[in-house]
Amino acid sequence: MEVKKHLNLIAMYFKFNLSSSMEYRASFLTQTFGMILNNSTFIFFWWILFENIETIGGYGFREVMMIWAISSTSFGITFVLFGNIRRISQMIVNGELDSYLLQPKDVLINIIASGTVISAWGDIFYGLILFMGVYRFSLIGLGMFIFFSFTGAMVFASLLIFANSLTFYMGNSQGIASLFMEFMITFSIYPEGIYRGYTKLIIYTFLPAAFISLVPARLINNFSWGWFSLLIGAVVAWLIFTYYFFRRGLRKYESGNLIVSKL
Amino acid sequence: MSIITVNHLSKTFRVKTKEQGFRGSIKAIVTPNYKEVQAVKDLSLRVEEGEVLAFIGPNGAGKSTTIKMLTGILHPTMGEINVLGLDPIMDRKKLSFKIGTVFGQKSQLWFHLPPLDSFNLLGRIYEIEEGLLKKRITNLTELFEIADLMDTPVRKLSLGQRIRCEIAASLLHQPEIIFLDEPTIGLDVVVKQKIRDLIKTLNKEFKTTIFLTSHDAGDIEQLCKRAIIINHGQIVLNESVKNLKYNYMNQKIIDIKYTEPVVIENPELKVLKSKGYAIKIEVDSSKCDLDRIIAELMKLGKVVDITISDPPLEEIISGIYQEKAIGGDSLEGAK
Repeated sequence: MEVKKHLNLIAMYFKFNLSSSMEYRASFLTQTFGMILNNSTFIFFWWILFENIETIGGYGFREVMMIWAISSTSFGITFVLFGNIRRISQMIVNGELDSYLLQPKDVLINIIASGTVISAWGDIFYGLILFMGVYRFSLIGLGMFIFFSFTGAMVFASLLIFANSLTFYMGNSQGIASLFMEFMITFSIYPEGIYRGYTKLIIYTFLPAAFISLVPARLINNFSWGWFSLLIGAVVAWLIFTYYFFRRGLRKYESGNLIVSKL
Repeated sequence: MSIITVNHLSKTFRVKTKEQGFRGSIKAIVTPNYKEVQAVKDLSLRVEEGEVLAFIGPNGAGKSTTIKMLTGILHPTMGEINVLGLDPIMDRKKLSFKIGTVFGQKSQLWFHLPPLDSFNLLGRIYEIEEGLLKKRITNLTELFEIADLMDTPVRKLSLGQRIRCEIAASLLHQPEIIFLDEPTIGLDVVVKQKIRDLIKTLNKEFKTTIFLTSHDAGDIEQLCKRAIIINHGQIVLNESVKNLKYNYMNQKIIDIKYTEPVVIENPELKVLKSKGYAIKIEVDSSKCDLDRIIAELMKLGKVVDITISDPPLEEIISGIYQEKAIGGDSLEGAK
């Protein structure tokens, strides 16, 4: 029941945000296509690289494109659905949570879902097109891709919520949050084989970038229930952890008197 | 029946302090210093159903902090709060269906969108059934005279127009209590009056309990029956506005107009302004008999016009602040 309410709230904001993004049609289209173009430049980089080398860390061109596709779409979904994630830290500092705390909805979901990032649509489409391009088209493949893009989005979202919520405990953490984001993106778009030792440990635990694209890519190529359960377990554990981390932090929320508007 | 009960409420903030200059900044990184600021200290109060209460105090007195604790935004450091039988923190969601809040400095409308879009979204957030929501929007837009603003983006509205939309938005779910934090801040006289009339209507017609903070003595005089004055997080005075005026307002202002110029020699009277025919006098009614003074004034010449008025509440309040601040036991400060 509660979950259904949360999903309804997300769906409501999604429609609301989409219709308000559409108000500025030209901006919507340029931002979306701009992002697709921007991302596409990396294809050439990898293509040239693989012209000379057979495999990198056990990945060929196709595999690299696949992890690119998944992380791009995951990233896009995160910011299309939860655009305000990148602003949580700033909102805490400015005392902008007040109006959300006054409404009869879950605070965290209400905050993150009430904003969107238009250019993130470009990331979603880019990933989708790339995936269809490198992977032979099949309904199962596409279904898996969409599913893993959503689990990836949840990993992205929970880590960013965690980093932004640090603001409650230690003051403005916007810098840390963007560092975390860079880290997550970087470690989810390079072949897994190049990571060894501690790095590998970190991307499977503390900064779970592996669960965004590397584990899903492995599952799409060669499905195993063991890895699948590990992935779901990691996603659920991170979601629960960040949710409570945020809720606990909320007790320390100090509001503020800055004059603010909802943008 | 009390619908808000607050017992021994306190709120402490931890504030980082830093010595001045670059050295201070470096020091603050290595060994940060904190000081505790008590925004609200041992505050207890009650609000009755249907009441219009003024919660007043100078800047930084703890007004907004108290409202934020009453509405579930801030966690109290100590004490108990009960609003409509609910604990604002534990039952935040339940409570938010029953209360409305307007912060003069914070908007709940989306800046780039017309109010109608925000109203519809808020309707969904407050789970109001669609037909009912439409009806309420129509009623509120009529009452607040905002029907022709509904499709203009909020960023293009004037402050007065925006505040009217804000208050209307906070009433969509028909709250039993409405908290207004400085609703008339920055508005011109005409718009202020309009907002006051609306608040009065709300209280009369819908029996909405109103908890109002304001700097504006006019708001309090015209709207409220009771005022709680706080300073440094503590209640300084909790009295009916009538008593407040009576007890702290011994000063009377007499404006009197004669047909010919007169000279006032009575030392009990302080002449504030004199243009020969028209004189403005201040009298301390606790020290001298108003009857006698007026009779005396009448004898001085033929009177064309006379008005006796109270000094504005603003002066009275600032007097009380000063009196309490110096801890004096006389009312000299109030005068």
